[in-house]
Amino acid sequence: MRNRYGNEVRGLAFVSPWLLGFLVLTLYPILATLYFSFTEYRVLTPPRWVGLRNYQDLFTDHDYFLPSLYNTIFMFLELPVATLLSVGIAILLNQKLRGMAFFRTLFYLPSVVPTVASAILWLWLLNPEYGLVNRTLDLLRLPRSEWLQSPLWSKPAFIVMDLWMVGGGIVIYLAALQGVPQHLQEAAELDGASAWKRMWSVTIPAISPVIFYNLVLGVIGTFQYFTPAFLMTGNPPGGPANSTLFYGLYLFQNAFAYFRMGYACAMAWVLFVLTLLASWVVFRSSARWVYYEGER
Amino acid sequence: MWSGEEEQAFRRVLERYQQLHPNVSIKNLGAIRDDTKAIRAIVAGAPPDLFTLSDPLYLGAIAAQGGLEPLDELFAQSGLRKEDFVRGSLSQASFRGKLYAMPFLVDAYALFWNKTLFREAGLDPERPPQTLEELRSAAIRLTKRDASGNLKQLGIAPVSNRSFYAGDIPLVMHLFAGELTAANEPKVTPDSSRNLRAFEWSAGLIEAMGGYTKVNAFAAGFGQPQGGDNPFFKGKLAMMINGQWNPYWAETYAPGLDYGVAPLPYPSDTPERRNATWLGGNFFCIPTGAPNRKEAWKLLAWMQTEEAQVLFADTMHGVPNIRSVLRNKKLRTGEPWRYHYGKFFDLVENGVPGHFPPLPVSALYNNSLLDAYDMVLDGKKPASQALKHVRERVQNELDRYP
Repeated sequence: MRNRYGNEVRGLAFVSPWLLGFLVLTLYPILATLYFSFTEYRVLTPPRWVGLRNYQDLFTDHDYFLPSLYNTIFMFLELPVATLLSVGIAILLNQKLRGMAFFRTLFYLPSVVPTVASAILWLWLLNPEYGLVNRTLDLLRLPRSEWLQSPLWSKPAFIVMDLWMVGGGIVIYLAALQGVPQHLQEAAELDGASAWKRMWSVTIPAISPVIFYNLVLGVIGTFQYFTPAFLMTGNPPGGPANSTLFYGLYLFQNAFAYFRMGYACAMAWVLFVLTLLASWVVFRSSARWVYYEGER
Repeated sequence: MWSGEEEQAFRRVLERYQQLHPNVSIKNLGAIRDDTKAIRAIVAGAPPDLFTLSDPLYLGAIAAQGGLEPLDELFAQSGLRKEDFVRGSLSQASFRGKLYAMPFLVDAYALFWNKTLFREAGLDPERPPQTLEELRSAAIRLTKRDASGNLKQLGIAPVSNRSFYAGDIPLVMHLFAGELTAANEPKVTPDSSRNLRAFEWSAGLIEAMGGYTKVNAFAAGFGQPQGGDNPFFKGKLAMMINGQWNPYWAETYAPGLDYGVAPLPYPSDTPERRNATWLGGNFFCIPTGAPNRKEAWKLLAWMQTEEAQVLFADTMHGVPNIRSVLRNKKLRTGEPWRYHYGKFFDLVENGVPGHFPPLPVSALYNNSLLDAYDMVLDGKKPASQALKHVRERVQNELDRYP
C-alpha cells in the first residue's frame, strides 16, 4: 500500500505549497465572491442574502452599469487596429536591413515605460491647450480635438494612447515571423508568387496561431480595461459625463467607494461570463482561420 | 494621511503631545491617503487606536455599520463644551445624533478675486461681487478668448471640475439655501426647487463662459494647485472659490499677486445666505474595538486646546475649530498672507457655514451629483431630470441601510 501511493503522496507534498495557495488564496476567494454576489455586503457588517437583487439592479441601471458596459465594448475597436498595426510593424522590422536592432528597440521602448509614467506623459501629449498632439494637428491644418476632455473623443484618445504601446505584441509577432519556414517562402517565390501573395498565403497563415493568441489576450484585457482611465480622468475618475466610466472602474467604485461589495461581486461574475462567452466565440472562429503546422 | 511639509506639521504636534505625556507612545503610520486601509484593519479585527478620515464623506457609511466608537460620553466627561466649537465643525462629525469623530482644524471656502484682472476688465478692483448675479456678469466680462475662439482667461474656476478642484456643486446649492436632505425624515432632496436653481445657475455660467467642452479643455491645462502653475496665481483665472490654504501658497509661489478674499456671493433674493462659507476638513475617529480608546480620546481632547490648535494651524494653514482660537493674534498677524488667511477666520466665526451632510451614502450622493452636473453640461439630460435620477439612485441606496 505504502509503496503504491508513495510517489503520489510525495508528489502532492512537493506541490502542496502551490496547491494550498491556490485553494486558499484563489479558489476560495473566487467562490466567496459568487456567494457575496447574492448578498448585500457592505464590508463592515456581515453579508445579508438578497437573492438575485444585485443582478436585477445591474441590468436595469441605464445610467451607470449599461453605459459602463457600452464604454468597455467600444474599446474593442482597438483590437483589429492594434493587430493590423503590430503585425504590419513586425513585418517591417523583420526585414534584413542594417540598423534594424535600433528600430526594434525603438518600437519596443514604450512598453517598458511604467503605466503611471506613460499616463502622465499622455495627459500632457493629449492636453487640449498645450499638447503635442493638438499642436501637430494644427501644423497639418487638421481640426483639433479636446481628447480626454470631450465625451465624444475620450475613448478614442485612450485607443490612440494604447496603440503607442503595442511593442509587446510586436515582439511576439517578430518571434513568430522568424519561425516562418524559409523553404515555403522560397518555394512560393520559385512558383512566381508576388511578395503580396507570399505574405497572404505563407506568412500570415504561418503566424496565425500567434495572432489568435494575442487576440484572446486582447479580448480578456479589453474587458478588464481599468488603469489608464483610473489614472487619467481626474477625480472622481470616469469623466467627462461618464464617457470613460469603464466596467472595471465602476466595479471598483462600487466595491471601494460606495460600500457595495455584493453589487461589485455580481458585476465581477457578469464580467467573467461575458469574457468567457467572447473567448468562446474567438475559439470557435479559430477553426476557420488559424493554421497549425501538421494540419492538413 | 498628510505628506511632505504637512506631514511634518502633524509630526510636530505629536512630538509636542509626547513631551507633555511621556508615558504615552504614539506610532504615526503617516501618508496613508487610502481610507479603505483603516476599514480593512477594522474588518480584520486589528483596528488602530485612532485614525484620520481623509474623506469626511465616508464617515456616515462607517458609523452606520458600527465601525466607529461614539464619542459623546467621552466628550462630556472631558469637560469640552459644544458651544466652544466652530459652527458646523461638530455636525460634520455627527451621524444620527451621535458624535463619531473629532475635528482638528477645519477647511473653509471663500471667493478669491484677482484685483489686477478686475482693473484690466474695467471692474472696481476693491469691490468683489456681492451677489451671484454680480458674480455672473463679472465672470463673463473677465473671460477672454483668442482669435480662434479658444479660452485665454476664465472668469471663475468651474465647480465640480475633475481637473482642478474649486469646490463642488453642493456648495452652490448651499448658496441657494438648498438642502440635500429633508429635515425630519431619512429622505434626500437633490431635486428641490432651490437645488435645481443652483444647478441651472451653475450650468448657465459655464455655458456663458464658453461651454462645457471649451471650459474643460482650458481647465485641463491648469497646473498643480500647490505650485507656481496654479491658474489663479498665473492670472488664468480671475476668480475662484477655494480654501484658506491658498494665501500662504500665493505668497510662496506668486509673491506679487494682487488679490482679495471675500465671502461667497449669494442670490439677491436669498439674503439669508449673505456671508456664506462652506466647510470641509479631516477628522479623527476611534474605531470600534480600539485597544486604547481612553488614551486615544485624551489625544483628541488635547488637540482642542489653544496650544495644539495654534501649533497645527500655524504650519497646516487650516482654520481652528475652537472659536476662541479664531482671535489668536499669532495666527492672524505678521506676514502679509496672514491678512487674507484671517478673513477665513471671520467668515467661520460670523458667517453662514454649510457642509455636506454625513449620510451612509454621502460618497455615492456627492459623486452622483457631480455626474448629473456633467450630464446637464453635456446636454444629455435636462437638470430637473438629472436631479430626479440622483434622488432615485441615492434614496434607493439609503433605504437599504438599516
